[in-house]
Amino acid sequence: MSKITIDPITRLEGHGKIEIFLTPDGGVENVYFQVPELRGFEKFCEGRPVEELPSIVTKICGVCPGCHHMASGKAVDAVFGLTPPPTALKLRELFYMAHFVHSHIAHFYALAAPDFVVGPTANPAERNILGVIAKVGLEIGGEVIKQRRIAQEIQALIGGHQTHVVMNTPGGVKKGINEEQRDDIVKKAEGFIEFSKFSIQLFKDVVLGNTEYVDLILKGPYALKLHSMGLVDDQNKVNFYDGKVRVVDTEGKELFKYSPNEYTDFVEERVEPWSYLKFPYLKKIGWKGFVEGQDSGVYQATPLSRLNAADGMATPVAQKEYDAMFAILGGKPVHATLAMHWARLVELIYSAERCLELAQDPDITGTELRAPIGKIVGEGVGIVEAQRGTLTHHYWTDEKGMVKKVNLIVGTTNNHAAICMSLKKAAQGLIKKDTEITEGTLNMIEMAFRAYDPCFSCATHSLPGQMRMELILKDLEGNIIRKIKRR
Amino acid sequence: MTRFAERSGKVLVLGIGNEILTDDGIGVRLVDDLKDKGFPPEVVFEKGTVGGLEILEFIQGYQEVLFLDAIKTTDGKAGDVYHMDLSDFLETLHLSNLHDVSFIQAIRLGKELGFDLPARLRIFAVEIVEDRVFSRNFTCEIEKQYPRILKEAEHFIRSRTKQYMLENSPG
Repeated sequence: MSKITIDPITRLEGHGKIEIFLTPDGGVENVYFQVPELRGFEKFCEGRPVEELPSIVTKICGVCPGCHHMASGKAVDAVFGLTPPPTALKLRELFYMAHFVHSHIAHFYALAAPDFVVGPTANPAERNILGVIAKVGLEIGGEVIKQRRIAQEIQALIGGHQTHVVMNTPGGVKKGINEEQRDDIVKKAEGFIEFSKFSIQLFKDVVLGNTEYVDLILKGPYALKLHSMGLVDDQNKVNFYDGKVRVVDTEGKELFKYSPNEYTDFVEERVEPWSYLKFPYLKKIGWKGFVEGQDSGVYQATPLSRLNAADGMATPVAQKEYDAMFAILGGKPVHATLAMHWARLVELIYSAERCLELAQDPDITGTELRAPIGKIVGEGVGIVEAQRGTLTHHYWTDEKGMVKKVNLIVGTTNNHAAICMSLKKAAQGLIKKDTEITEGTLNMIEMAFRAYDPCFSCATHSLPGQMRMELILKDLEGNIIRKIKRR
Repeated sequence: MTRFAERSGKVLVLGIGNEILTDDGIGVRLVDDLKDKGFPPEVVFEKGTVGGLEILEFIQGYQEVLFLDAIKTTDGKAGDVYHMDLSDFLETLHLSNLHDVSFIQAIRLGKELGFDLPARLRIFAVEIVEDRVFSRNFTCEIEKQYPRILKEAEHFIRSRTKQYMLENSPG
């Protein structure tokens, strides 16, 4: 008996292990996805002044530090019972839109495009951003780097640092921007919009123009019928920074809509003995196992889920692209996992447009930056949409604002059960009796969860770039069948 | 981050890691402890958690870059120091940001795009014990050896700087 290992899974943030158990006739019996635990974050926070947390949490993940900073800032506002003034809220959101632009560009060009532009079964040495650029041109490569850098510059300007953001303070932000800085951001945001439009057109040309890829998205082993979660504004439009959490069922009908501080009534976390990472599920439905369908308690919180859970986008070009996507994919909700890439590009356009709107808002250069400190409430929840899903920070403090307890449900954790199910479905669809398991086959299994843009750094409270992934094929007795190393 | 215009003809010492994750932040602490040790003005010290495409922003325009990072190898001994360059590159903990592109890919991409990349990239990597527990303190094994590691890092930077000066001195 033998086993297969792929080490590492490429283009995945974090480290983990996928174990695929094969039946005696060569089919897939089960798939286990595991990530190692990072320990002690809650302990590390205990006893510290709660207002320090927004700066500390940026260090638990180098991939979405801005998301943690925002969720944390909102939770701290709640602990102090404060509502930031309009300028502060708009500055936070402006920063956040630049963060989304930066992250979504990176995901599309570095992580998603290689599978489509170069090909899912192409030589792995070419299936990367260099291969993408070889196909689409050097000029585009330069533009990717440039737009990412510009988005980082906006974050550094407003956030105080592009990675270790320090802008949030209880009830507001530490500094504002002036007219000259605003004018500069306006120009940069106009550039984002153009590049976002180009990127979605590239997706349409390369992916939708290829029937093989369209079939892969719509008919491949990648669909998963689950409930969808996302933050919406008071018009039920997608919002990344603020609003209520809306959950729609597998048919697109609203199941729940709740305020951040009510999340414990709607989401519960399940522990499985084989995984360090928990499995959140919809509490009112209950845990029914790793199953699809209307009765399942499993939900997704991804770019596609956000679009499924909302009634539309709050900006014009994004709305047009939202309508086009659902029209082509057969209407809402869409359950095709690989359509997350398309949804991410719709969100990229929204982020760019919203960035421009906010930069042009007269309030953005206002000078009222924070609310006066009041009485400490002692408990607060902050929820934002991270690129990878709904992000929740929940803090408890004593009467002096010293942290007593912390709970985080990060974007990727929401999708943990769905990722496991997607992997199993992809493996079952791609590995059959007598299937020759090639590197391309294994990459196509990876594609099932790369679509989620998973970041296990903070899911297990870890850091970027440290962890590796193994894909191991075993027989039902646990013996390794084959091992492929890839670097 | 130092502005591009101020980087020409300089050596960057870039410490990378997370200072609140036990031994993970050794590169950052080395930079903190070395930056005021009287290096010539051509040596610039920076720190951060960078990898993937972002690394290009950090290193563009410098003549030479010396990375100080943590590493975990299968048979490594705590406190062992590895000297590497691109030709014998092993991925250290932060240079390989798997959410993004690999270090090698980022460098190749930068070259393809005609970026002004350093003529030399060298890595000083320290074998660590623990990078999965939140703490501002090193493990005992690393803490005990830190004075020796600091000396080695200082020697590494001084010898690289001297070499760089010799190679770039007029005439």
